[in-house]
Amino acid sequence: MSAPKPILEVKDLKMHFPVHGGLLFRRIATVHAVDGVSFDVRPGETVGIVGESGCGKSTLGKAILRLYDPTHGQVLFHGRDLAHVHGNDLRVLRRDLGIIFQDPYESLNQTHPVGFILEEPFLIHRIGSPEQRRTWARELLHKVGLPESALDRYPHEFSGGQRQRIGIARAIALKPKLVICDEPVSALDVSIQSQILNLLLTLQKEMGLAYIFIAHDLAVVKHVSDRIAVMYLGKIVEFADADTLHHRPLHPYTQALLASIPEPDPSRSVEDKPVLEGEIPSPRNPPPGCRFHTRCPYAQPRCKTEIPSLIPWADAGEAHRVACHYAGALQPKA
Amino acid sequence: MILPRLDPLTKKKFARFARIRRGWWSAVILTAAIVMSFFAELFVSNRALVVRHEGRWSFPAYGAIRPGTEFGQDYQYETNYRRLKKTFEEAGRGDFVLLPPVPYNAYENDLPEGVYPPTAPDFSSRHFLGTDTSGRDVLARLIYGFRTAIIFSLLLLLCNYVVGISIGCAMGYYGGAFDMFFQRLIEIWSNVPFLYVIIIVASIMVPNFFSLIFIMMFFGWMGMTWYMRTATYKQKIREYVQAARAAGAHDSYIIFRHILPNTISVIVTFIPFSVSGGIVALTSLDYLGFGLPPPTPSWGELLRQGTNRLDSIWMAASVVASMIALLTMVTFVGEAVREAFDPRRHTVYE
Repeated sequence: MSAPKPILEVKDLKMHFPVHGGLLFRRIATVHAVDGVSFDVRPGETVGIVGESGCGKSTLGKAILRLYDPTHGQVLFHGRDLAHVHGNDLRVLRRDLGIIFQDPYESLNQTHPVGFILEEPFLIHRIGSPEQRRTWARELLHKVGLPESALDRYPHEFSGGQRQRIGIARAIALKPKLVICDEPVSALDVSIQSQILNLLLTLQKEMGLAYIFIAHDLAVVKHVSDRIAVMYLGKIVEFADADTLHHRPLHPYTQALLASIPEPDPSRSVEDKPVLEGEIPSPRNPPPGCRFHTRCPYAQPRCKTEIPSLIPWADAGEAHRVACHYAGALQPKA
Repeated sequence: MILPRLDPLTKKKFARFARIRRGWWSAVILTAAIVMSFFAELFVSNRALVVRHEGRWSFPAYGAIRPGTEFGQDYQYETNYRRLKKTFEEAGRGDFVLLPPVPYNAYENDLPEGVYPPTAPDFSSRHFLGTDTSGRDVLARLIYGFRTAIIFSLLLLLCNYVVGISIGCAMGYYGGAFDMFFQRLIEIWSNVPFLYVIIIVASIMVPNFFSLIFIMMFFGWMGMTWYMRTATYKQKIREYVQAARAAGAHDSYIIFRHILPNTISVIVTFIPFSVSGGIVALTSLDYLGFGLPPPTPSWGELLRQGTNRLDSIWMAASVVASMIALLTMVTFVGEAVREAFDPRRHTVYE
């Protein structure tokens, strides 16, 4: 397969958070939020990352952007290791990265008018004169479909969807190559969700952006992504093209996620669907072996001891990777 | 650079404050009193406001001392304007002296012959609240004492807040070992009984205005740190701060542009209470004799005279009444500010 050279390569990224406690404030435990994740993003494509709450997908996004300092691993961007650059180098690299947050009420500082929020990226990087910044802010508003009058108004005067547009405008202000969308539509009404998703897709076409699209809703991810990584407890369990993943899911967790998407098909019986039971285990004490074995309907003794690695499956090559000892042997019931 | 403008939410808070009548009027009266006290020389002073002498106008209220010879008197020391007024009136040549409503200053002993201070309030001699045990006008000392106390309290507040906010903010923002170190330091430092320390220091050296502020700041900066630490910590983990960091902003930029504007309400809420705290602290130190050195006009010192001479009730009564009025108003303002900035009123769930 001749894939274009990726713009971002994540290699064995680990993000562990120490838990301190006790009288002497010693490290008493470790939260394995992201535990050895590897994937790549090609120019102009969307990689979806999907998983339950607490599986580490948001942490992964923030660790890539260096909002957290990763414990281990590499994040290669433009040939530089984002995980290990400092000071001004990091600042310069961040010009090519953007982030859109989940909660548009939290991600905009309500003490500043929208104009300032949009000019801020330029201000931080000392680009342009105040008049130029104003012009650029105006152009950004046009791009995301908001009126110019928004410049002098404050975030709380806008609705959730409008605020998310402002958040998107800020993320694309510096014309980044890669934007991390951290659940950009989860906090919005369903009617607004599609508007925002379409805006993201239009911007991607216009500006040639690559997205890392993080969400817990597989239906949304499937709609926007070229390739999808399914995460469970800090690890990627399956990574494939959106179509492949949808039509031939190999990992039992992916199968369960797909089955949970409601389908408007009255002929399909509810009983056929495999339903996941139990809760996601705590990342403080991840289970040994395959992390999914506590909830996996097909679990074998081997799954409890041996950690499956994310390997290309059969003849699919790099296009379809899965971390399951029995991948392919388990066909979805439906 | 764009100067931070008042955002509508803050404007709303101020509008709400203005609607709380009690607090609003207290704030208006207090502000007026403070501003007027800065121009106290125009109301309470032994210098005349206007003198007309042989066709020339003089305005001696401010500026250099004018010797008696300037107005045709036979002495070289500073003109006694009250006597000058009488002299001019007796001469009746169209010259006149306009004195302030209270024609005494705070340091001057008015000791007419045959009268032993303290003297009771007397409108004819213009001692509206009488004189103290050394013949100084009580109203004059009250007003200049208020000016001293309020300036002292505001300067102390400024020093305490600059130190407290910087350290508290840094604790909340950087966290970790730095935070831990200062937490323990503040816990220990807060347990030093600061009144005793001031008494010990004051018994070794007589503190002046600025050294007293310094000593009190040394033991008073901790108050703000806890609140600022919590407020900063709360803001720091919010996504708009992460957005700024992701855009590549420096720590100082984030602190001054994003975190501090969002903690203003915490700071503002505490200001009135810190002001009244400062005034009470200074008054009690002066009362005990460990405050500002005499003859600085001060409420505490006047109160001490008053409690020693309860037969001359006007001294104690004026201080106690002024103290009650001032502290009540400051508390009203504080209450109203707290009410107006109550976050529960401004959180909207949609």
